[in-house]
Amino acid sequence: MIPFEPALARLRAAQGDYPMRGDMPPVSELLGRFHPDSIGGQPVPLAVGVNAGMLCQPEVAARLQTNALIDDVDIAGAETLNTDILVIGGGGAGCAAALTAAAAGARVLLATKLLLGDSNTVMAEGGIQAAVGADDSPQRHFEDTYRAGHRAADKHLVAQMALDGPDAIRWLIKLGMAFDTVDDRPFGGSLRRKTPGGATAPRILSYRDFTGLEMMRVLREAVALHRGIRVMDRSPAVELLSDDRGRCVGAVLYSVEHHRFVLVRSRRTVLATGGSGRLHLNGFPTSNHYGATADGLVLAYRIGAKLREMDSFQYHPTGIAHPAHLAGGLISEAARSEGAKLVNGLGERFVEELKPRDVVASAILRECAEGRGVTRDGQTGVFLDVPSLVREKPGILEHTLISLAHLAAKCRVDPAAEPLLVYPTLHYQNGGVAIDGDGQTAVPGLLCVGEVSGGIHGRNRMMGNALLDIVSFGRRAGAKAAEAFAEPYASRAGIGHIHDWQRQLTLAGLPLDARGPQVFPPYGNFDLASDARLRSRTAQGGAR
Amino acid sequence: MSDDKVSLVIEGREVSAPTSASIIQAYSASGGQLVTNVGCMGQGVCGSCRCMVRRDGQREVSMELACETPVEAGMQVAFVSYFQPKRPHVYDLDTLTDGWQILDAIDEVFPQAKHCRHCGGCDRACPRGLDVQKGVEYAVSGDVQAAKDVFSECIMCNLCTLACPERIRPNHLGLFVRRALAALTLRPVELMRRLRQIESGQLTVDVSAVDRPEGRP
Ligand SMILES: Cc1cc2nc3c(=O)[nH]c(=O)nc-3n(C[C@H](O)[C@H](O)[C@H](O)COP(=O)(O)OP(=O)(O)OC[C@H]3O[C@@H](n4cnc5c(N)ncnc54)[C@H](O)[C@@H]3O)c2cc1C
Ligand code: SF4
Ligand code: SF4
Ligand code: FES
Repeated sequence: MIPFEPALARLRAAQGDYPMRGDMPPVSELLGRFHPDSIGGQPVPLAVGVNAGMLCQPEVAARLQTNALIDDVDIAGAETLNTDILVIGGGGAGCAAALTAAAAGARVLLATKLLLGDSNTVMAEGGIQAAVGADDSPQRHFEDTYRAGHRAADKHLVAQMALDGPDAIRWLIKLGMAFDTVDDRPFGGSLRRKTPGGATAPRILSYRDFTGLEMMRVLREAVALHRGIRVMDRSPAVELLSDDRGRCVGAVLYSVEHHRFVLVRSRRTVLATGGSGRLHLNGFPTSNHYGATADGLVLAYRIGAKLREMDSFQYHPTGIAHPAHLAGGLISEAARSEGAKLVNGLGERFVEELKPRDVVASAILRECAEGRGVTRDGQTGVFLDVPSLVREKPGILEHTLISLAHLAAKCRVDPAAEPLLVYPTLHYQNGGVAIDGDGQTAVPGLLCVGEVSGGIHGRNRMMGNALLDIVSFGRRAGAKAAEAFAEPYASRAGIGHIHDWQRQLTLAGLPLDARGPQVFPPYGNFDLASDARLRSRTAQGGAR
Repeated sequence: MSDDKVSLVIEGREVSAPTSASIIQAYSASGGQLVTNVGCMGQGVCGSCRCMVRRDGQREVSMELACETPVEAGMQVAFVSYFQPKRPHVYDLDTLTDGWQILDAIDEVFPQAKHCRHCGGCDRACPRGLDVQKGVEYAVSGDVQAAKDVFSECIMCNLCTLACPERIRPNHLGLFVRRALAALTLRPVELMRRLRQIESGQLTVDVSAVDRPEGRP
């Protein structure tokens, strides 16, 4: 490994002109030898559930095969609310579903773990894909996405999303979301387009480099002002409700504020709980928000939904590596889209910066593994050469890479003068709950949208396709769910499905004292059993 | 980067933390229960970790984001929990179809805005350092483009709303103006063309193209 000072001196001497290493192995070899999915914990077959036998990332498998957090006695006598549609999760996918269902006349209850909008969505920077350019087409969008995902995606989901793209953008504009235009001409002008890694045409639409913030504040306000939507903040779902036919008929929420459970009975339940970065798989830091603890995956699997590609996660190439306390924070792909280069400790480039993310991340890990990385105060990474970009495009930090400048300031780095040290960060859950084109799962009554779902991005997601995914499928799931609004409620709603689940765990020899979902990361110092004084698990629990 | 430890008080807890830690990292590392007042945890875009900070030897209290503010010796920190305006401004963007009415609409939805007393409370409260008061003034006077720009980087932490003695809700006013402008004026030409091609059935996607070895024709 190369110490920071000499590496920096080499970088400076080269003045932006770096030789490219010529020894890159073929992609399959590179991924096999260096991608965390391959070299981290070896995938294990799931022992219980509908996907028994399917290979799964081991730490995720451990979460999926947990016992429920609660038992019948804990929710006996809990308040029950009724709604047509229950949406779980207050990110972009949940809001899109809620707004669409409410617009169709359904009564919607949206429950979320933190506050409405605290999500991965609000953190998205780079932008959203939609094939609007004359040099582009939904066909290209489909093909690029399918290929970037290593042909593992459901083609029909990808094709539908690509065709939905332009309408998703119109929907967002109607709600009041702004997008950057060329020459600042809103009416009759052109949208500013950037090329995402792995694409054959410029297709990323954005608002500055905080597209998710612009999207989320608009969606949040629209949801908060809608009379047909009731929002319950600080109310994580800790279990789903089932009826005696195995359908999903609502959820058990835990009010963090009032320390009690609330049962919500619904005609349809839309799970939009996002991703799992806060599981810190393979010990990696993460770019994700605090609530990304895979709760939705765990709950959906337990009630019988199918999962897919559970051994495939995305590590974003450019997480912050130094200083340590900011490790994992994201530097948007926008920096590389604009032309920033990756440089190793020898002052060489080693990969085309806009290759698909799994390739670029693996290439960085290879440089570090083979001793060409840079170390500083015990942190390892490679350089992202922002200074050369600033020399080429003066003003870019003020107008385009605003979030990057903000992050650099926190790192106490002047990005115009000094490169940033970067290392891959756990970023996105490629797989998830299997869905159809309307977000419906194998479990009647349960729909899934957004990062919790799978099948759209295959084994590698392109930049900008997650934001499109949540709007495209969020709207479709909301509309589909709203169709059920005249159906009668299930006569019985309980957590009967967990008893069958517990039997399966016991049969497989798995412990019953490992509980899930996690709800908050371990450093949140939260334990549901003591916080709620669970009757099922504390001796004096009932004496409250 | 120095890793000397400092002592401070967060939510009434004595906490000791390295100077490189943010307030929120220090709080969680000290065993404090972190189930609210946190969202993006470090990016500074969700506004949930808003807190009041009094620095050692200072009387003034400042509003900051706990996930972005490094700890200092002798700091006293209290989270500003969970705040929502009591009487939310209600509007339906779909009914605002006539751009000529924008000034009336602003006054109707935010009638208090014209009573701004220029106390600067909102400016002092804003952890992003935005010219909030100016933004309100621009919106009231109809300079909507300028108002839009002022609130471009607003993270909707609601601290200005909390600070405003006239109950103006500056950030929501700013967002209203921004939304109205986009909804009324953003009409990108190639997007309109593409929508027409798709809606007329002229453009579709052939999923079998990826199975052919030569790819796109
Ligand atoms: C830093 C960063 C940058 C990104 N940049 C881009 C980009 O430029 N372009 C792009 O396309 N994609 C990007 N992504 C990915 C994209 O933002 C996300 O995949 C997408 O926003 C996920 O949306 P979602 O609604 O499914 O999940 P989220 O937005 O994460 O929302 C999930 C919500 O569910 C809540 N929740 C979780 N568990 C529970 C529970 N048990 N009960 C109730 N509520 C619960 C969460 O708190 C949260 O509010 C980025 C992601 C990150 C982290
Ligand atoms: S304008 Fe108001 S809501 Fe926006 S960041 Fe500043 S204080 Fe927070
Ligand atoms: S706090 Fe309210 S009254 Fe004071 S300057 Fe700001 S908007 Fe005007
Ligand atoms: S946690 Fe989101 S701004 Fe601090």
